[in-house]
Amino acid sequence: MSTPYRLGLDDDLPQALRELLDSTDGPAFERALDAIVHQRERDVFRTLGQLARDLHETLRRFSAEFARDGVAYVAADARQELEAALEMSAQAANRSLDFAERMRPDADALVQHALAELERTADDDPALPLARRALEFGLATRTALADMVLAQSWQDLSGRRIHKAAAFIGNVESALLELVRLTGELVGEEAHGTAPAVSSQADADRLLAEFGF
Amino acid sequence: MRPVENMLDKDMRILVVDDFSTMRRIVRNLLIDLGVRPKSIQEADDGNNAMAILRNVRFDLVITDWNMPNMSGIDLLRSIREWDKTKTLPVLMVTAENNREQIIAAAQAGVNGFVVKPFSAATLEQKINRIFERLAVSEASA
Repeated sequence: MSTPYRLGLDDDLPQALRELLDSTDGPAFERALDAIVHQRERDVFRTLGQLARDLHETLRRFSAEFARDGVAYVAADARQELEAALEMSAQAANRSLDFAERMRPDADALVQHALAELERTADDDPALPLARRALEFGLATRTALADMVLAQSWQDLSGRRIHKAAAFIGNVESALLELVRLTGELVGEEAHGTAPAVSSQADADRLLAEFGF
Repeated sequence: MRPVENMLDKDMRILVVDDFSTMRRIVRNLLIDLGVRPKSIQEADDGNNAMAILRNVRFDLVITDWNMPNMSGIDLLRSIREWDKTKTLPVLMVTAENNREQIIAAAQAGVNGFVVKPFSAATLEQKINRIFERLAVSEASA
């Protein structure tokens, strides 16, 4: 009778694993191996789930700190806050543009009147210095108004960054939700009801609420 | 190098396309500074709306932003080039980034000029002049 072949395994391996690897029963080996792999997967997904919940808890505490300061600031509101900031910056920029557009015709008219006055005013006319001064002021105002219009470009450039930040927050919320849902399913902890696919921010917000976010 | 002549026609009909109303107003103001009549300037807030306007009104130039929802600037450019009535319409692309890939993609799609935000009236005038100078040269040699 031949001695069964024994793998040269590390003695530190768990007894169950050593017995499994020494087993000559193929189907039993497969079943046991699947069980071990699933156990490992469950551990990984439990850890991921815990990480997601820790992250949520951190966000919740972060929100609570702002709430204490009188600022309603939950994670989902962050996007709205950014959008509100964007709207306010657009209003401010538009007010500046309103002002520039309102003043430009006056500046142009002042330049034209001053030029006409300078043409018809004699060199010894006491009104001459005033006409010159009016021309300088009109030209300077026109340049300043043009610069002011150009300076409002910051609103467009910063607004695009705000848009990106708001989109990023939305993506983090969705990813967090997916992580919680996935880990919940994999460790057999079903969410209340059936978790539908996330197709919009509203879906994400609703599902996050289901998971207590 | 020969200085670029001023080819900006004051009656030129210009369509300004940008999703940010602030930027549309700024471009409008810059164009008015350059002498373009306010009535010759129209606005659209994305590529789809721009195409809807272009189907009904003739323009001499489109100034479009790259980043827009619904239909981006590059897709608008492609649509303009695909449609018979607008395929030769000059397009000046505006972008917030000096991105090499964007410039290459726009050039391949048939853009006529490219300007990076923020830009002054002088820069805008220079870009527009370049566009029409090149077009005049290509028409003369055709």
